[in-house]
Amino acid sequence: MGRIEGPPEQGLISASEVAVHLLERCASLEHFNAFMFGSTLHGVGEDIDILIVGPAGDLLAQLKKELHSAGESLPLHILYMQPSEERRTQFVAREKCFSLTQLAAVARQGC
Amino acid sequence: MNWQVKYALANFSKEMRSTAEHVDGNVIRIMTHDRPDVLAAITDVETVNRETAVQYREQTEGLDFLCGYRKECVWEGEAIRYLEDNRIGWGSFGTLVSAVLDGNANTATHKTYKFSDRLLRQYGPVMRVDREFDRVHRVTLRSRAEFRIGMIAAYEPTADEVRSLWERFGGVDIAWNINPNGTPQPEASAAGRELGCEVMKWDELKDRLSKA
Repeated sequence: MGRIEGPPEQGLISASEVAVHLLERCASLEHFNAFMFGSTLHGVGEDIDILIVGPAGDLLAQLKKELHSAGESLPLHILYMQPSEERRTQFVAREKCFSLTQLAAVARQGC
Repeated sequence: MNWQVKYALANFSKEMRSTAEHVDGNVIRIMTHDRPDVLAAITDVETVNRETAVQYREQTEGLDFLCGYRKECVWEGEAIRYLEDNRIGWGSFGTLVSAVLDGNANTATHKTYKFSDRLLRQYGPVMRVDREFDRVHRVTLRSRAEFRIGMIAAYEPTADEVRSLWERFGGVDIAWNINPNGTPQPEASAAGRELGCEVMKWDELKDRLSKA
């Protein structure tokens, strides 16, 4: 899994560290399927692409608040899909998304 | 150094044709062979209003470009007019990268919405365009009919993108999927119907404006 490059003092965090951060800060993620995709998986990215799959409504509104807070100092770019939208587009397979849980496990194994 | 400046510098370090250095605060300088140097401010605000734009211009002598680093950064119409009147380019990080290479940082505008903005302004039946936000235009036709149009740039707009546009910017008559290769999801069209707007592509929009 790519690590965001650049001089170490820049302190940009890796894809798996972002996953750990989001899972720790956003309790509502347990009600959704959450993924990362795009350039951050392979190194430095302009932004951090996140896919959230789940129902609309109050839980989603709560999750958006949590992600907003967690992303205060991160260039998160979040796409929200209903399960039917993801099924139709096969977005997870097409974009080779990694679940945040998988990514977080990589970071924890590295500890 | 702020997080958005770190990301901007890290991304310019991958760009072989340009080099970038931190100047001060949120300001970086970008150097490119055979192109003018560019002084750019990289902001992390979620909305750039006129006050923000004025502040950056006054704080940074010789500012060429104001960059909203967050993907969701919204630009208010008054801020856009102020920056354009003062020959300061504006837009996303991608806009900045392109502008640096094109050598037009002072006149560059957000690349996501540039083409669609121009399409509306150049379309025959349109008499007046009031740009309320980067992606929301109030259009007055020669027939005097008015439409408030919100742009969605996604490849496959989702129901959430339609609802979020409505929540953030207020009601629109039309949610225009400006990605020429995109197709709105059926759920997006259904969300639009629930809210009271139509989700459409340029061909449908053109047809609607020509008949109104």
